Amino acid sequence: MKPNKFILAVLGVLLILGVVAGIRGVTWFVQNEEFRAPQRVETGTPDTTPRDQGLADEHTAEQKKSTTLEYEPKAYRQIGGVSSRVIVWMLAQLHLLFAAFVLAVPIFALIIEFIGYKTGDQRYDKLAYEFTKLLSVSFSMTATFGAFLLFMLVLLYPQFMQYLTHVFHPTFLPYVGLFFLEAVFLYSYYYGWGKFSPRVHLFLGVMLNLVGTAIMFIANAWLTFMTSPAGVSKSGAVISTWEAVNNYTWMPINIHRIIANVAFGGSIAGAYAAFKFLTTRNEEERAHYDWMGYIGQFVAISAFLPLPFAGYYLASEIYAFSQTLGLQMMGGAFSWLFIIQAALIGNLFLAANYYLWLGMGRVEGTAHYQKFIKYLLIAIALCFAIWATPRSIISTVSEIRAMGGSAHPMLGYLGVMSAKNTAVNILILSTFMSFLLYRRTGKRATHPMAGILNAMQFGTFALAAAIVIFYGIYGYFVEAAVRIKFSVPQVGAVLVAMILITILDVILFRKAEQVGKMHWGRINPISQYVLIFIAISFTWLMGLMGYVRAGLRQHWHVFGLIRDTSVDAFTPTLGYATKIVSLTVLIFFGLIGVVFWLTSLSGKPDWQPQKKSAGELP
Amino acid sequence: MTAPTPQSNAWVMAKIILLVLGATALYTHIGQLVPQKQVLAPTEFVFDQAATPEELAEIGKGFAEGKGLCLTCHTIGKTGALRYPDLAGIATRAGTRVEGMDALTYMANSIYDPESFIVEGFAGGMPTINEPPIGLTEDEMISVLAYLQSLGGTPTVTLETTTADLGVE
Repeated sequence: MKPNKFILAVLGVLLILGVVAGIRGVTWFVQNEEFRAPQRVETGTPDTTPRDQGLADEHTAEQKKSTTLEYEPKAYRQIGGVSSRVIVWMLAQLHLLFAAFVLAVPIFALIIEFIGYKTGDQRYDKLAYEFTKLLSVSFSMTATFGAFLLFMLVLLYPQFMQYLTHVFHPTFLPYVGLFFLEAVFLYSYYYGWGKFSPRVHLFLGVMLNLVGTAIMFIANAWLTFMTSPAGVSKSGAVISTWEAVNNYTWMPINIHRIIANVAFGGSIAGAYAAFKFLTTRNEEERAHYDWMGYIGQFVAISAFLPLPFAGYYLASEIYAFSQTLGLQMMGGAFSWLFIIQAALIGNLFLAANYYLWLGMGRVEGTAHYQKFIKYLLIAIALCFAIWATPRSIISTVSEIRAMGGSAHPMLGYLGVMSAKNTAVNILILSTFMSFLLYRRTGKRATHPMAGILNAMQFGTFALAAAIVIFYGIYGYFVEAAVRIKFSVPQVGAVLVAMILITILDVILFRKAEQVGKMHWGRINPISQYVLIFIAISFTWLMGLMGYVRAGLRQHWHVFGLIRDTSVDAFTPTLGYATKIVSLTVLIFFGLIGVVFWLTSLSGKPDWQPQKKSAGELP
Repeated sequence: MTAPTPQSNAWVMAKIILLVLGATALYTHIGQLVPQKQVLAPTEFVFDQAATPEELAEIGKGFAEGKGLCLTCHTIGKTGALRYPDLAGIATRAGTRVEGMDALTYMANSIYDPESFIVEGFAGGMPTINEPPIGLTEDEMISVLAYLQSLGGTPTVTLETTTADLGVE
């Protein structure tokens, strides 16, 4: 016999009420008895034993001790046996990765929206909205990790946080105010898509970017002060809050982060497009996500190319602030970290070029340009190898004796800055050339001076390469003080060449004839995994460089001012650091997977109740 | 290029997860290939006040290599394109740098006030090593000086030597 559901439900409710009443009754009884205890003492003879007396004395002593206990401020706290540094390290990195994404996406979403507005092409508007959809959940993640990080800092490093509060308390309220504004502009930008006039919506986007950048600038002041303190006396007393904000590394970090955020944000958005490309069954959607992935990748690499120059600026300001810090970075405990960085950047360049070469498959009639790929690949692989060559080789004692030192007699020459600066600049030029070739696929220049413009482009490229190589070789014959200045003409030549060649290319292909049709969505699926690989490499690179920026202070909370006296006041091995970076990257990708999934829900059809079969009761 | 053949979502997800794990493992592995050095925070060294100049030179060598960071930039016995002056035989050369100034006074002034003498062909920029962040103590500075004296000469300073004795302005 089937039990009646209604009776079962009523019985269930009665049972729960009975349990609650029972608990309440027992509690009342116990409390009441406790309250009556003194009355019993009054009416009867106390039954005191030596043990009771002993307990009472202990209780009195304990009470006295607790009232006379001295307050001792703690410099550090621990959570179990976990390293406080690792907790803060990972939380800061996760907060930073989400924050970088949230700050970057509105920059290029706004630019794409603006292009759509100016050209009237709705595809751009749709693409900008697709990018913006990723922001909502990421913003919550950023805020959650930010709050988590702050709580952990206050909990684990109370004394140090007290000092930072002493220096930067005037910046706290503006920061909170800006954060509120960021939320207002972000959500009105996202939810207001199509609800306002295009100009009002673009204005919201501009404000979102301005407020976001201001928030980042304030947070950057706190962390750069820790590396290159300014505006305080030798004992740490504040002389000028503005000087503390505007310290040596503040503006270089601001610039470096804006560019790096865009590169990182572009790569993550590209990974999202790749994920959608690979999981869709719809031809039209696949074409859309192929295009989105290409734009994400274009944004990432465009921002990535000038990033080394921002890095030079930051490094030179670190040297200007403190030679000790600069030398620790490039010649001391962290020098080998830059070999790992070279491997990462080399992979990024190779992957970015590979994606562009695969992308040529979307266009008809690309054979003319594909023949150049092998030469570019040789140049890129060579530069990668040079950049990743260390000055000192890890070797046994007998090998060192045979080589006459830790530097290899031949390869050692490739491990110095002259060779590395040359390699990285040629790497940038080669990647730029790959992009130019891709841009040209399926097009034929119809400009009357096409031949001259082509020759000018080639001449500019050759001249820039010659300048870079000349200074690279000349660097071996001069003193260090002269050699260090050679990076300026090398970088300058590459930057000027990229700008000039781009201008010439725009003129050359303004009214180009379309000779090959572009088929978005028709690309080898490997390209999409390449996009994801690029996103992983960017994330890992951000983690690694975040480590060197913070780890550079070594046993100082604030370099040269507030010493780290905790048990974590040592610089771990690079092997250990890379494990922490990897763990953070894995957690981030787990969480970004959740962001992708939640974002994908918005495009799914609404849930519909299953239709009931005939005869079934409602 | 024809349109790619769709694959099952589970297979795509498995490949993405493998790619994330594989790429992360690759970079972690690269991190294990480079030299592994753990740098400890400097600890306070207790000097024997009766230490001989030779003993001080031996102790000072440790400070020049470690806390003092001297050998991060300076080399000993290297030639060619150098970043900063080589220190081999410094105790002999130092006496010939400034007319009328003995080697000890020259070296002492060079480490207490690094910008006082810049060797021709090299850029300045050496940090003040008896102030934070390096922050060598007075005894540690004397030991480093003893070590410098031992490079091409004989150490003479002791912990009783004062900056006034060294002619440091």
